[in-house]
Amino acid sequence: MPACAFAAAAWTPPATDAMFIIRMAWREMRWGWRRLLFFFLCLAIGVASMVTLRSVVQGVRVTLRAESRTLLGADLALSTSRDWADADRQAIERLVARHPVRSRSVQIETTTMVRPADSAKAVSRLVEVVGVDRAYPLYGSPVMQSGRPYAYSLVEGRGILVRPELLTQLGVAVGDDLVIGNARFTVRGVVDAEPGRRAGGFSFGTRVFVDARDLEAAGLLGFGSRVTRRLLLALPESEAQRLAQDLRHALRDGFVSVRTSRSTEDQIGRDLERAEDYVSLAGLIVVILGGVGVWSVVRVFVQQKLRSVAVLKCVGASSRQILAVYMAQVALMGLTGSAVGIVVAAVAVAGLRPMVADVTGLDAALGLTASAAAQGASIGLLVALLFALVPLLDIRHVRPSLLLRASEPSRPRRDAVWYASALGIGVLLVAVAAWQAGSWRVGAILSGGFAAVSLVLAGAGLLLVRAMRPLERSRRLAVRYAARRVGRPGSQVRPVLLAVGIGVFLVLGVRLLQDDLLRAAAVTLRPGSPDMFLIDVQPDQVDGVRALLRKAVTGPAPVLIPVLRARITAIHGRETRLDSYEDVRGRGRGLGREYVVTYRATLAANERLTAGEFWPAAAAGAQVSIEQGLADRERLRPGDRIRFDILGRAIEATVASIRTVDWADARAGGFMFVFRPGVLDSAPRTFIAPVTGPADPRARARFQRDVAAGFANVSVVDIREILASVARVVRSVTLAVTVVGSLVLASGILILVGSISMTRFQRMYETAILKTVGATTGQIAAMILVEYGLVGLAAGAVGSAGALGLSWAVARHVFDLPWTPALGVAAAAVAATGLVVAAVGVAASLDVLRRRPLATLRAE
Amino acid sequence: MIELRQVTKVVQSGGRPLTILHPLDLTVPPAQFLAITGPSGSGKSTLLGLVAGLDAPSGGHILIHGRDITGLGEDELARLRRQTIGFVFQFFHLIPSLTALENVCVPMEIAGRADAVSRGRDLLAEVGLTDRGHHYPSQLSGGEQQRVAIARALSNDPPVLLADEPTGNLDLANGQHVMELLLEIRRTRGATLMLATHDAALADRADARLRLRGGRVDAAGH
Repeated sequence: MPACAFAAAAWTPPATDAMFIIRMAWREMRWGWRRLLFFFLCLAIGVASMVTLRSVVQGVRVTLRAESRTLLGADLALSTSRDWADADRQAIERLVARHPVRSRSVQIETTTMVRPADSAKAVSRLVEVVGVDRAYPLYGSPVMQSGRPYAYSLVEGRGILVRPELLTQLGVAVGDDLVIGNARFTVRGVVDAEPGRRAGGFSFGTRVFVDARDLEAAGLLGFGSRVTRRLLLALPESEAQRLAQDLRHALRDGFVSVRTSRSTEDQIGRDLERAEDYVSLAGLIVVILGGVGVWSVVRVFVQQKLRSVAVLKCVGASSRQILAVYMAQVALMGLTGSAVGIVVAAVAVAGLRPMVADVTGLDAALGLTASAAAQGASIGLLVALLFALVPLLDIRHVRPSLLLRASEPSRPRRDAVWYASALGIGVLLVAVAAWQAGSWRVGAILSGGFAAVSLVLAGAGLLLVRAMRPLERSRRLAVRYAARRVGRPGSQVRPVLLAVGIGVFLVLGVRLLQDDLLRAAAVTLRPGSPDMFLIDVQPDQVDGVRALLRKAVTGPAPVLIPVLRARITAIHGRETRLDSYEDVRGRGRGLGREYVVTYRATLAANERLTAGEFWPAAAAGAQVSIEQGLADRERLRPGDRIRFDILGRAIEATVASIRTVDWADARAGGFMFVFRPGVLDSAPRTFIAPVTGPADPRARARFQRDVAAGFANVSVVDIREILASVARVVRSVTLAVTVVGSLVLASGILILVGSISMTRFQRMYETAILKTVGATTGQIAAMILVEYGLVGLAAGAVGSAGALGLSWAVARHVFDLPWTPALGVAAAAVAATGLVVAAVGVAASLDVLRRRPLATLRAE
Repeated sequence: MIELRQVTKVVQSGGRPLTILHPLDLTVPPAQFLAITGPSGSGKSTLLGLVAGLDAPSGGHILIHGRDITGLGEDELARLRRQTIGFVFQFFHLIPSLTALENVCVPMEIAGRADAVSRGRDLLAEVGLTDRGHHYPSQLSGGEQQRVAIARALSNDPPVLLADEPTGNLDLANGQHVMELLLEIRRTRGATLMLATHDAALADRADARLRLRGGRVDAAGH
């Protein structure tokens, strides 16, 4: 027969073709939907987590955007940590006069101690004092506990407004007097909520409000104290932008920061976009995990369908038609799975609302967003089709002659079409990841990471098979069989290893990152290390404070460390060149902040020299020793020159040495910059004293009270309280990270259950044969237990190794922390994975184990 | 000796009970070769499955060497098969992920025999597959697969051999080869053989015959 006759015979009108495909797809679904149930669940959970995460972040962002003006408290805010310089003040007034400013307000903030005026109450607290003027607040309003509106008269003339917790801490009530510095204030009200303050934000102490003029008069704002002065302006938004530009230009060499509500919004927006991208990526990871599940389910499905496919081919269906039948089925299940996922997400978003309010302090307008739902559905469908296509392509190689022989069909081939499809799917996945992450680079990195982990897992699969070979000769039946089953054709080792391995990698990775994060944020106190710091001690108070410490605190002799505040205004290094403060602020990655520096002749106990000398014998001019991490980041070496501005005085210092600092050991404090004694000896400075305070809370309170009573301007920073406050912030972050991690874990386990329950169809046959030749249920269960246990252990080991690597990279390069491998956690993860996989393997096979063999053998 | 007393099998089909085996009494003395014949669906495979304990009867009792197996649990049945019964299927039913030799060794390994591999080789040699031991079932022809299945059935020296149309899937030459092998084995080992077949010529060589039709005994004789 000529070739064209074949072509003519194979041709069917498209409509008939489509009808056939739809009809067949429907029949197939009717029969086999239970077998594809896990396919469906994998997709649903993936889409659900993705849509949920994205909706929550979008909701929070919309709410924050709306509140950005209240957050800043102004349309434009200027702030400085020094007194306004005359030149700056003039420049500001000149520029402000050119714009239609509706109102302005001045605020002063400082950190200091407050205590009850009643000397019988032996307590005191570190607080953030906010001095406000008549115009406060420009936007929003404090919510008073009394329910009455806020008014300036509440603070005017030595009034003070406090947070409810301070009343409890100090044991005072509204109407009582408090002492700040050398002034008495009367508590006139309790503030429940302050505009623009988010719960979960970090502060040194609770905030109290007084009249700015009274704060100036309280004798606290003297030299060396940490004070932030703000000028808040209300003006039309477009004007605010232009004024901000002009101000930034005019103040470029001054130490004034200029922010607008728009830039605040932008900053928050950027943070949130990053957060959104992060959670979307996490969601995408879950979807891809779901895709891996889809792949393994479809793979087994195709194996079971070989005879049906052969029959269809026998009666004249083309490979293309059959492929279309199954793809139509996958698309239908993908759509339904996505739809179920979106419904689940709607429920989850509603459920997460109280938690989000708790973490962010915002009553965000949370709901399923249309864009998130649309994205979730389309990605769900795409992933379903992509991951199902590769195993479905094997259908093309099914020969109808299969029906004539009772033997197993030969293994599928990898041909050009297969490779082309795999490549196309890879490219599409990178594109989807890039779309979700909002950047091609991140998309490529993510896909590359996935590919790398998959490759490692595939390699681990091969190694596992090889490592198991000796076990094939084991004396124990179960071990021998498990080893054989792992290494033989048709084995489910690779898909299970891949799905579980990636799951373990992501889950444990998230968990270890969380630990790193906690370590980075909370420096745990070592026994005997200082847990209190006295700050702002003036030179003429040094002797007095030392005497008080000798009396009140046991332990080694008190140390008072001189400190000065400095900014870097230029760097002249061989590798780093920043010529002006503007450069330092712009390109110096955070170098523009204010540093606390000290001077001394010798290294402290918690420091170690890594380069240079401390101090060189013969050297002229100012010299400074810098911390290792900072030196690495900024590429500074001994001999480089750094220009500092120390209280208006420019000091150019040569880097004499590099030191490492053990930050966890704070007995001598920790300083980025230590100067050689000499240059700064006569400069105006204050002192700090690290103290190991009394352990008993009452003695602790009495000590703080004594300090506050004897030295009004000296503040006591209680590290234990700060650690508690940091821990609160970290907990919020941890909670969010844990939710994402749990979603990943849940989908990982689901995919595991899915891939294993698919292998039970294969297992059913083998189990029936084994039973026929005399194996007991216990023996077969033991084989399954050992087989899946081994696979679980291998997946756990590879995943954990990957997670440890990730944790190392993040600790080393992001948090700049010393890294100790969390071997205990990793070992526990490996063991848990082995156990879970083995347990799920046996549980999924329970009905197979119970079944009578004949029915199974007949069906085959 | 194998005894069946009023053994029935009823299954649910389309929501209605369908009797595939009507009350049946049968006694097979030791070392007898019993041929079971009858058209497709007459209950031949069901009968053999019940004797092997692969399925449970709906009524009646089955005694093997005087032991009633109808009340036994799955594991006791498995143990019984391991020691007493070798089964050969029409569709071979080898484990696809194991080689020919491993398939033969399976029952012996389950029984915990130390000489499983060497005896497995002997058995393969006995069925004429000395050099095919390392092949997977998919690499063997139908006849070869069936010979592996027979070797497997013989591995624990069972006193009872059950064969369900063992030649049904083989060509004439292969079928004859397999059949000669089975008969030879029965002769040399003195095992009881229950054989379901369509082949009248084959049935003629049996010690006794049982013809089934629609789940009832159509004819029985010697």
